[in-house]
Amino acid sequence: MKKNIFCTTALSFLLVLFLAGCAEVVQMGTAVGEGMGKISKEDREAIDRAAKQTAKAARPMTEQEEYYVGRAVAATILGRYRFYSNERLTAYINSIGQSLALASDRSYTFGGYHFAILDTEEANALACPGGIIFITRGMLKEAQNEDQLAAILAHEVAHVNHKDGLASIQKSRWMEALSILGSETARKIGGAEMSKLVSLFEGSVDDVAKTLLVNGYGREQEMKADLGALAFLNRLGYSPYGLTDSLEKMAREQSGGSKQGIFATHPGMNQRLANSRSTLSKNQWPRKDDPARDRRFREFVG
Amino acid sequence: MKTKTWVILLALCLISSVAAAATVKVITQEAMIRADKRFFAPALVRAPFGAALEELGREGDWFRVNYQGKEGWIHKSAIQEQKFQLSSLAGGQAEEASRDEVALAGKGFNPEVEKAFRDKNPKMRYDLVNQVQAYRVEEQKLQAFIRAGNLREPGGVQ
Repeated sequence: MKKNIFCTTALSFLLVLFLAGCAEVVQMGTAVGEGMGKISKEDREAIDRAAKQTAKAARPMTEQEEYYVGRAVAATILGRYRFYSNERLTAYINSIGQSLALASDRSYTFGGYHFAILDTEEANALACPGGIIFITRGMLKEAQNEDQLAAILAHEVAHVNHKDGLASIQKSRWMEALSILGSETARKIGGAEMSKLVSLFEGSVDDVAKTLLVNGYGREQEMKADLGALAFLNRLGYSPYGLTDSLEKMAREQSGGSKQGIFATHPGMNQRLANSRSTLSKNQWPRKDDPARDRRFREFVG
Repeated sequence: MKTKTWVILLALCLISSVAAAATVKVITQEAMIRADKRFFAPALVRAPFGAALEELGREGDWFRVNYQGKEGWIHKSAIQEQKFQLSSLAGGQAEEASRDEVALAGKGFNPEVEKAFRDKNPKMRYDLVNQVQAYRVEEQKLQAFIRAGNLREPGGVQ
């Protein structure tokens, strides 16, 4: 009876630990319990297995996994739009984008931030998980100066920071992938398990691509990305008004009936504009126009 | 006896948090350890993905670390606190569990899954993705771009 009371108390304690994610501590605890003859070897192994599986089941996608999903999403987008190869323009947008990424809340990702141009008149910008960011030629035309272009890129960097792309993956897919990975046979995944894992990967990529290209993010995610963008712009010394200026322009075009590209996947421009204006006024950030930036914008973008 | 067991378990918990705090792991493909806590500070040594760095201190968003005998600074977004160190204190069984964790850490959506996905979808434009990811702006050029645009160098202690 005494042994049962001990086991119940110890197991409750270990349960608290492994719910807190301390699988290794649980294993040490069970080792002590077994060593003292308080729990059997079988009980100990069962607790250890449960702790490890619980810890794994609860884990979010790693940076490395996010990187591979992002590469596949980028490959999907590049299958739909033509890649625009222009070395000078690519260098320019990468210089702006990578400076913003360093100033963001997630300066480094597994594979880093990379910015590329899509050859379409449709105005849009798309952030793949992990840091590959596309801007279309149509969107480049929307920007009237470097600060507005920086604002568009900063908004996409914020989506990467917030892992908004990954959030669009159906939870059930990731849980199923984890159950395959957490199984005892995961040491060497092959055959049917690998094929199942690949279709879960494919499904995850489709979820993200559909969100980026068709459905768009939720209004809440867009507004949070705007707030992130304002902070990154301000940290780097760009005028945060670059964001409200470009939102104003897009809101005017959206009210004019445009339903293509960014207007389809980024709804509620007016609400976003009001939200960003309120942040600007609360922080009393100054408008900072800069002739040197205007000059180079004209030189690279025209 | 019961009290003694609880004390041992709590002590192990405390040891684990101390041990975990002492080491950090690189979570990016590679990370630069720098002479100062700034993004453009001179690079001292390059640490690959998964490298374990000894943590010596923290200031703002920067960790002071020791890697291969070189002491320098690394940004918080390039690392994750590591808990594997615990194994050396816990004996053989925990050490084995840690190795399992390491082995499983490489599982998931990894190069093997990407390869199978590409084999299944041979028309996907991974060639262009590689081209996009291969493009890099040299640090010196990026720094010059920031200065020329009258911008502020990011990444000081925040």
